[in-house]
Amino acid sequence: MSAREEFVSIYRETLPVLLIALGGGLASGVILENLLASVERFPGLLVMVPVFLATRGNVYGALGGRLASGLHQGLIEPRFSWDERLVNAVVASFVNGIGISIVIAVLTRLALAVLGWESAALWEFLAIMLISGVLTSTVLIFGLLLVLFGGYEAGYDPDNLVGPIVTTLGDIFGMLFLVFAVTLVGVMP
Amino acid sequence: MSILSTNDSLGSWSARSIVSTMFPLLIVLSIIVLAAGITLDRAEALLEQYRVLAIMVPTMVGLGGNLGAILSSRLSSRLHLGVATFDVRDTGLWANIAAILALAVTVFTVLAIGAYLLGVAFGIAIALPTLLFIALVSGISTAVIAIVCSFGATYASYRLGVDPDDLTIPIVTNVVDVFGMLIFIGVSWLVLGL
Repeated sequence: MSAREEFVSIYRETLPVLLIALGGGLASGVILENLLASVERFPGLLVMVPVFLATRGNVYGALGGRLASGLHQGLIEPRFSWDERLVNAVVASFVNGIGISIVIAVLTRLALAVLGWESAALWEFLAIMLISGVLTSTVLIFGLLLVLFGGYEAGYDPDNLVGPIVTTLGDIFGMLFLVFAVTLVGVMP
Repeated sequence: MSILSTNDSLGSWSARSIVSTMFPLLIVLSIIVLAAGITLDRAEALLEQYRVLAIMVPTMVGLGGNLGAILSSRLSSRLHLGVATFDVRDTGLWANIAAILALAVTVFTVLAIGAYLLGVAFGIAIALPTLLFIALVSGISTAVIAIVCSFGATYASYRLGVDPDDLTIPIVTNVVDVFGMLIFIGVSWLVLGL
């Protein structure tokens, strides 16, 4: 393939995917804009937002990459089944996802204390991260499996699907469940 | 297959080994991204005054990360296929870089227009040329960082003999999260004169 052809093929193949991610990003931006109203109730909440969104990408990006490689290598089958590899990969990403949510809550509280900034209580951060973490994990794991398996069966290269699935689902559902968790914790006594 | 295939044994698919490999990396990356979060918190006044900027934040960061992820995964596939040379005379590499930059110009233009339209819909718009300038300057700078970081991480994992599939995307997306946020807030600050 000449350099020019390669340029054109990359541009053509990835532009639709990026535009979908862009739509998802704008949707989560609208949710973030609404979240700004809750910042006064939970000081320091905004510090947690980028870390929370980034770890969704890390944990489930890694799961997606692993599943894509597994499909390519024929190590896993593109269907929901009690396959040892599949179950292990899913369990590991769930453990990583929930574990890192707890770490984020503690780290954020610590960072705010070190900076001497006003901060919500540790249990509030923990509750917000755990609720949104568990919900996001569930949606992302099932979303990834569904789209990867379906896409693979339809002849798409799973490697090209992982990035946009994870960022789009992760951003939208991450933000939605974050707002949900903030609302829920906000009404707790 | 390739010499870099590390997923062949069931061992690397055990939940315990996946967690113990990834969790320390996740903690380190979280600490790095906290820096971006602290920037966002400090920019609260800016975001409340120009609420359309808050709408742009996740997309700015997400698109930068996506561009980096696309390039990294293309580079690591080239490595797996044995065609990556890391030679400046390799026109294929330059085609990849040019395509990422062209995509950056396209999507960040669309982002500015999309944010402008949402801004109009919610009655919080700021001028389209201002939004275009902020989105393009910070978007292209972020894309350049994503490109440099993709090459660095792929080259490093190649030298270390680690499968780049496992390493590059988390590193690139995190670096872009931090710098994308810093650059976007910085450029907005300068343009809107606070």
